[in-house]
Amino acid sequence: MIRGLDKITGTLLVALFALIVLWPTFASNYEIGVGFDTMRWGALALSWVVLSGMTGYFSFGHVVFFGLGAYIVAVTWLVLPWWGGVLLSGVGAGILAIMVGYPCLRVRGPYFVILTFGVAELVKFIVINIEAGLSMSGRMLLGGPSTITLYYSMGVLAVLAFILAFWVRQSRFGAGLRAIREDEDAAETLGIPVHRYKMTAFVLSAIIPGMVGGLFVIRGAFFEPPNVFDPRVSLTMIAMAVMGGSDDPRGTVVGVIFLALLSQYLWANFPQLYAIIVGLLLVIFVLAAPDGMWGRWQAAKRRSRSMQTQDS
Amino acid sequence: MALLEINNIEKRFGGVVAVRNVNMIVNQGERIGLIGANGAGKTTLFAIIAGNQRPTSGTITFDGERISGRRPDAVSRRGVARTFQIVRPFGELSVMENLAIGAMFGARQERSIDEAEARASEILKDVGLTDRAADFASDLTLAGRKRLEVARALATEPKLLMLDEVLAGLTPSEINEAVAMIRDLQEKYKLTVIMVEHVLRAVMQLCERIVVLHHGEKIAEGSPEQVSSDPAVIEAYLGTSKSLGTSRS
Repeated sequence: MIRGLDKITGTLLVALFALIVLWPTFASNYEIGVGFDTMRWGALALSWVVLSGMTGYFSFGHVVFFGLGAYIVAVTWLVLPWWGGVLLSGVGAGILAIMVGYPCLRVRGPYFVILTFGVAELVKFIVINIEAGLSMSGRMLLGGPSTITLYYSMGVLAVLAFILAFWVRQSRFGAGLRAIREDEDAAETLGIPVHRYKMTAFVLSAIIPGMVGGLFVIRGAFFEPPNVFDPRVSLTMIAMAVMGGSDDPRGTVVGVIFLALLSQYLWANFPQLYAIIVGLLLVIFVLAAPDGMWGRWQAAKRRSRSMQTQDS
Repeated sequence: MALLEINNIEKRFGGVVAVRNVNMIVNQGERIGLIGANGAGKTTLFAIIAGNQRPTSGTITFDGERISGRRPDAVSRRGVARTFQIVRPFGELSVMENLAIGAMFGARQERSIDEAEARASEILKDVGLTDRAADFASDLTLAGRKRLEVARALATEPKLLMLDEVLAGLTPSEINEAVAMIRDLQEKYKLTVIMVEHVLRAVMQLCERIVVLHHGEKIAEGSPEQVSSDPAVIEAYLGTSKSLGTSRS
């Protein structure tokens, strides 16, 4: 049995995987789109958790990898096959993470938050200016693959992101990252190579978002910088991870499904209240349950266990 | 055999000299006490040995290899472990995870998580925290967190264990227990121990040799008896009183 995976969550994960695989066979085109978006958010939030959930370095600019991935696909659209562009997006995002990670990971706490946000905005405006310089007001991406192909491609990324986050969470590497989150100086004094670990986590958390951005822009068939570099993309992945639980990828999955379903419902019924309700929920979670739904559930399990041992 | 050699170590913070020209040799298997008033430079010296701070000048050799100027993780991998005066548990991780992390890194470098937890369990037994293994470290009492701090450092399988005021803030009975624990651990794991401590009674009981720092300088070194009757020490500590030994009886 895989370490840390009990029967119930294991079964639920297998059921979720089956649902992802079978969804297009009975869902409408619109519902396939909903599935695509939910998995997009899943891949993003789970990637974010690899860095920010594990190390506590709260990236507020993860959209930069998503946006860069979209841009790479848009620029190479007529040169490379669509999947080639998507793979290149992952590489590009990884390289950007190496360049950005070195200066950003030198600072902690709010400074890291501000710096990552700033870098994302910086790259956004660089891309806007390049496109303006080329007299491009958006790029059309015509002749892309079918909705089903895109759906399954996104499914692969979402599953990979989960496997990556799950592996990190229960590995020695992940133990080192979580120690960094709790107390970086103590972690380094215990022999954890903190700089190398943080950098590795940063790059690992950037690659999949790059490819996700590529698939996203192919599905929309239109590239526009403000759209793919929208800071709300960072905010949404953070909200999902925090509400579900950012210390455990299983919790993140719960958060993604919860917020994705809620978004569907709110957009359909109260579109004008959507941002207010999501913002309010995020505030409540950060204040009352920063460890998310998963963390609360684990705490409840611990309490009932310790009550049983006291009774016996 | 000298395990640790400290040569002419000096540390300045701007114009303030925290440690001035300290020389010291620590032999394999020794228990050394490092005492001195607040601000004497004891914790700074620990931080320099462990790599948390770089010395302004001087060198430190550990186990035949120069460690001064290296990062703390590199020093830790060579077999130096320290605790922090203000305990720094990984609060949101379980007691077991705290120790397992120590075993996975440090000098132990345990690759298998099961093996790391096996070692953690053994040390938890040694320090009497077995019942708390599943609790969050932040839920422990101060005495428990001090034990955890020692246990986590020990999990890295150090040759040299540096204890920074692990007795401070404990009740007299807790101090007695902790002193017995340190002695047992030292024997069982064949450790060399340097301890910074204000609880002089405990230092006198535990340590074979005592080094006294005052305003960053080493002013005395010797057996507990020699040091406690040294006039320079008495003056530094008490100003005018006659003997330090009174508190021992």
